[in-house]
Amino acid sequence: MNSLQKYISRQFKKTETEIHNLNYLFWECTSRCNLSCLHCGSDCVSNASIPDMPLGDFLKAIDTIPTPAGNFTVVLTGGEPLLRNDLEQCGREIRKRGMRWSMVTNGYLYTAEKQNELLNAGMGALTISLDGMEGSHNWLRNNKQSFTKVDKAIDLAASTPRLNFDVVTCVNQHNFTELDAIYNYLTDKKVKAWRLFTIVPIGRAKNHPELFLSACQFKELMEFIAHKRKENEMDVKFSCEGFVGDYETKVRDGIFFCRAGINIGSVLIDGSISACPNIDRSFAQGNIYTDNFYEVWQTRFQPFRKRNWTRTGKCEKCSDYKNCGGSGMHLWHGEKKNVLVCHNEKLKHVSL
Amino acid sequence: MKQNFYRKIIQGLSLTSVMFVFQACYGTPQDFGNDINISGIVTSFATGKPIKGIKITIENSSQFQLTDSEGKFVMYVPKMDSYNINFEDVDSISNGSFTTKDTTLITVNNSIYLNMTLKNK
Repeated sequence: MNSLQKYISRQFKKTETEIHNLNYLFWECTSRCNLSCLHCGSDCVSNASIPDMPLGDFLKAIDTIPTPAGNFTVVLTGGEPLLRNDLEQCGREIRKRGMRWSMVTNGYLYTAEKQNELLNAGMGALTISLDGMEGSHNWLRNNKQSFTKVDKAIDLAASTPRLNFDVVTCVNQHNFTELDAIYNYLTDKKVKAWRLFTIVPIGRAKNHPELFLSACQFKELMEFIAHKRKENEMDVKFSCEGFVGDYETKVRDGIFFCRAGINIGSVLIDGSISACPNIDRSFAQGNIYTDNFYEVWQTRFQPFRKRNWTRTGKCEKCSDYKNCGGSGMHLWHGEKKNVLVCHNEKLKHVSL
Repeated sequence: MKQNFYRKIIQGLSLTSVMFVFQACYGTPQDFGNDINISGIVTSFATGKPIKGIKITIENSSQFQLTDSEGKFVMYVPKMDSYNINFEDVDSISNGSFTTKDTTLITVNNSIYLNMTLKNK
């Protein structure tokens, strides 16, 4: 990344932050889940005591948006959205409002009938989680049938030209040596896009150190992604989870930009108004049951849009701060005195 | 206004639209709306009454939908230049017995409404 690219990127982020167009809205529509994954960031449980948010409550919130931005997308997430039995109706109501919708799923309940129903209701994008080949996926997903199920779900999703579809993989100690195998598996299935994550110590993952990559493994992961992107057989990329220094532009399409609270908002299961659901819940800016959703989006969100408070801990004297900006918002938890993980630091201290 | 102008300048300088296309951590890719809405009602040619249980399929698509108790259907399908749509009575004699019908439509905008009548067998 040269100096001009860095400069343009900084100016672009500044302008986007000033405009703060909302065009990507998570809806945490349920906290119920049919799996109990070891790495779950939301720490959801099978029999969640919190009831699903009624569709009408969510619609009242989005009806406060006077004119949805172009390509405004509502992303249904959870928990597992497919556990809701009114998903089709949810989708249809969102489309009636001139908005688009998509879903993140573990694929366990994604059948041909369900896909037909959801496409008819206007679903336009889908993300399915695959965390390794059979043994590692089932281990992480804590369920012996989960690979068989997700395998079928991926076939179905890849078969329709309508969906802007990708597979996401959380890379950990168990699947790290399988990256080539997963790549071949996905290209054989004609999957067009694969996004790779690492796991950060939040939610249930905190108790499983075997889920985290060493600095050396992380650098190997960057090399793997950069190499596969050159092959250009499938759109492989690193997620937007953090700034990766010299690997920026080599491992993803754009330069790192955490858009939480700038273009990305959320309505969480208890009505809280925030940004990505994996961000510390103490960052909530309001609640749809007491506040006007769009007014909150327009007038609050200062911690997301002015991030100079992140210039603390290891970020305080970091020479890359002006390009990184404190990395991802989901990496600031608890007292918020230090970033939870610094990807750039990991890469700087390792040579392969 | 000034901000949007500046935004376009940056877009030009970056020689890419990538900066304007994004997905959140643990979110999905964005949807660029490559679909259209096809809706309508299916009625009996003989009686004018709505017919429930007619299967509507689009050629070259795996999607289908059945009409509801009011003979209505609504579905979003991938955008194509034209559509061959098939209406088929698939529930035997439960709601009467009707002949199959095909129709071809040329896409001119993002929604199509069909008022379809089927003859008795």
